[in-house]
Amino acid sequence: MNRINKKLNEDKKLLSIYFTAGYPNIDDTVTIIENLEKNGVDMIEIGLPFSDPLADGPTIQASSTAALKNGMTTEVLFEQLKDIRKTVNIPLIIMGYFNPMFQYGVEAFCKKCQEIGIDGLIIPDLPVDVYHEEYQAIFEKYGLINVFLITPQTSDERIHYIDSISNGFIYMVSSASTTGAQSGFGTVQTEYFERIGKMNLNNPQVIGFGISNNETFTQATQYAKGAIIGSAFVKHVTNNGVNSIDTFVNSILN
Amino acid sequence: MKYQDNIKNVAALQPDYLGFIFYEKSARNFDSESIPDIHEAIKKTGVFVDASLEFVIDKINKHNLQAVQLHGNESPEYCDDLKNRHAKFVSVSHPLEIIKVFSVKDEFNFNRLKPYEAVCDFFLFDTKGKHPGGNGYTFDWNLLNHYPSTKPFFLSGGIGLEEIEDIKQFTNSKASKYCYALDVNSKFEIEPGLKNIEALKAFKKNLSEVLDYKKEHVMNYNVNEKGYYGEFGGAFIPEMLYPNVEELRQNYLKVMAEPDFKAEFDKLLKDYVGRPSPLYFAKRLSEKYNTKIYLKREDLNHTGAHKINNTIGQILMAKRLGKHRIIAETGAGQHGVATATVCALMGLECIVYMGEIDIARQAPNVARMKMLGAKVVPALSGSRTLKDATNEAIRDWINNPVDTHYIIGSAIGPHPYPDMVTRFQAVISEEIKWQLKEQTGNENPDYLVACIGGGSNAAGTYYHYLHEPEVGIIAVEAAGLGVDSGESAATSVLGKEGIIHGCKTLLMQTQDGQITEPYSISAGLDYPGVGPMHAHLAKTGRAEFMAITDEDAMNAGLELCKLEGIIPAIESSHALAIFEQRQFKPNDVVVVSLSGRGDKDLNNYIEYFKI
Ligand SMILES: Cc1ncc(COP(=O)(O)O)c(C=O)c1O
Repeated sequence: MNRINKKLNEDKKLLSIYFTAGYPNIDDTVTIIENLEKNGVDMIEIGLPFSDPLADGPTIQASSTAALKNGMTTEVLFEQLKDIRKTVNIPLIIMGYFNPMFQYGVEAFCKKCQEIGIDGLIIPDLPVDVYHEEYQAIFEKYGLINVFLITPQTSDERIHYIDSISNGFIYMVSSASTTGAQSGFGTVQTEYFERIGKMNLNNPQVIGFGISNNETFTQATQYAKGAIIGSAFVKHVTNNGVNSIDTFVNSILN
Repeated sequence: MKYQDNIKNVAALQPDYLGFIFYEKSARNFDSESIPDIHEAIKKTGVFVDASLEFVIDKINKHNLQAVQLHGNESPEYCDDLKNRHAKFVSVSHPLEIIKVFSVKDEFNFNRLKPYEAVCDFFLFDTKGKHPGGNGYTFDWNLLNHYPSTKPFFLSGGIGLEEIEDIKQFTNSKASKYCYALDVNSKFEIEPGLKNIEALKAFKKNLSEVLDYKKEHVMNYNVNEKGYYGEFGGAFIPEMLYPNVEELRQNYLKVMAEPDFKAEFDKLLKDYVGRPSPLYFAKRLSEKYNTKIYLKREDLNHTGAHKINNTIGQILMAKRLGKHRIIAETGAGQHGVATATVCALMGLECIVYMGEIDIARQAPNVARMKMLGAKVVPALSGSRTLKDATNEAIRDWINNPVDTHYIIGSAIGPHPYPDMVTRFQAVISEEIKWQLKEQTGNENPDYLVACIGGGSNAAGTYYHYLHEPEVGIIAVEAAGLGVDSGESAATSVLGKEGIIHGCKTLLMQTQDGQITEPYSISAGLDYPGVGPMHAHLAKTGRAEFMAITDEDAMNAGLELCKLEGIIPAIESSHALAIFEQRQFKPNDVVVVSLSGRGDKDLNNYIEYFKI
């Protein structure tokens, strides 16, 4: 069974953390992953930086630009991760935009992911229908789970379609926004979380965008299987480097 | 087709399409459980007569049909519904081909085709008779001399071996220009549904040359229903943008076809923009280059460039969709000014994203936008130029999904933008057609020339000529300091297939798939991608691409000032510069899109020539 599915079967709420690979320093990737696991994080999204990250707000944009300046590339990332499964057991997901994967070759990319022990991918600008028609067979061949986003504007019909194509979890974007834009959830969000909760989807949901501290994490996981933190963590490493990851994770979980 | 062995034998002759009738009243009704395996290049086509959509979808799914022929009174809405359902329940990436049949007797009102233009892939002309199809005699093919469309069509109705000579003649006539396929049936049957293999073989052999020629020459350069030009286009957008883009996709053609929309658009183009823009025979320039050069004067439009054609169209679209907040990106500021202008005209809120570096370079246009009431927001990310301004506009749209319309400034972005922008700019070629006819007696020039940033003035200049093979198309990109200098914007040479701003096209990027920064002296051509239509025109060879350096463009601009008394935009100067590099015959008629005027570039000209 894929590590993501196994993790989703555990009887607990999940904390997933996003970070941009190659940031703050090019060689921080493995250190960050190992530290996150050590401090009790359940799942990690490794951000493959892109020059034009359309769905991201200023924090992740800036970290991506910096990571690219540091020399991060798809090749470099794969090289850094080649022994990651010797030390890390939690699910690892690569999150990135489609063009770098497309240039690497989608099949070659998936194959490499499988070799390394990557469990899934999140590709915000690869629409579900194109995935379904052109790439699903390749992803499945290499045992990769592809995770799709839904937003408060996604119609029920489309959510059911996305649910039918998914085989891990559904990434529930908390509000119509780019990453890092929100702080705190109001009734609009909680109503949306409840609405989705009542749809009885096949795949569990994990909430992302706008989760930054213990309060928002607790609130989100009332409605969903887990929550994803991105910009807040990237800000943390910007300010503190990679040495105080324990402080950050503890502040979320406790 | 009806019988299994007979199907296999016909399939062995490698037709392009093979038809199966699903109509109980027909003697040829296909009622077997399944269609035998045939080569996948042959499109299995279901033939239906006023069947319910459920029935059609069911047969498509069951028999894996790639096309349908609709023989009844199916409405345009029916065809549209069928497409949408097919996308939803069968396949998104392999769109269904819809062939709508029209029966012709002694005359035919071609206006009937109009409502079907946007919703069908092909028309089929059959002889009107007792039955829906299969009546066994031909109609007068000369009627097709009046075929007003550019949509490829199937010729049908009583075609048999005796018609071979007529067909050969027909394929040499004007009427056959858009004839894409021949559809044969009853004349090749031993009994209804059983085909005579030997006769078909003889038919194919006799006609193979003309058929191949036709297929090659009726290539489609327009967008298909899924938003692709060949392999380019599509909508590679984050889910957050899906509702907005989908709303636009479902509505843009319908809205554009509404009579009051058209009336309002046309009226504004005339009274506000000042259209039609003149088609001017540039006598002295023509003498210098010993050919016949006509300038399409988009520079005389209100706000000084072609950009306003698109913003007028899109602001009316935004109003029809109930949006009251308008966002746009801009590089040099031309599109920003054109957007701010129409927002002022309509009293809508306007926010223009502009790279921080461009804001510093283009101060007069920033001031113009502000005077027109727009808010200019600096794009501080990435390289702080046009591509980043576009990113910021897209991010704004993600954050404001309900009340906002994004007016993209070129024939780029996710489907339906490239097609919508092209259609608004198509007024350029629509006018060239009648203006040229008036001035020369012939509506077709030998060549059309336009500069390409994202490709909107070019798309508009080419649009009504794409399927006129005798009209040469020349696309001019900015070579910057030289194509190989590392400082260039010649995307068709330097670009590779990839995804930028929601569409698959040619773009300049690193080996790793990071989008790179182009360079050109002209801010309007300084874009790392090219619209998907142009990527397709480049790939198919329909257009000839040329790259012009800063230096050659600047000199050509100055030359136009001296010879014709017209100061062109530096973008347009790139198109003018081809005459130094490419020979034309003395009698060639060459129409150049003079996309904008040079006022905005005065500082550039002053510095460059030390005036
Ligand atoms: C005068 C003029 N011509 C051409 C262009 C290039 O755009 P497009 O390729 O969309 O026509 C611009 C863009 O700003 C322009 O201002």
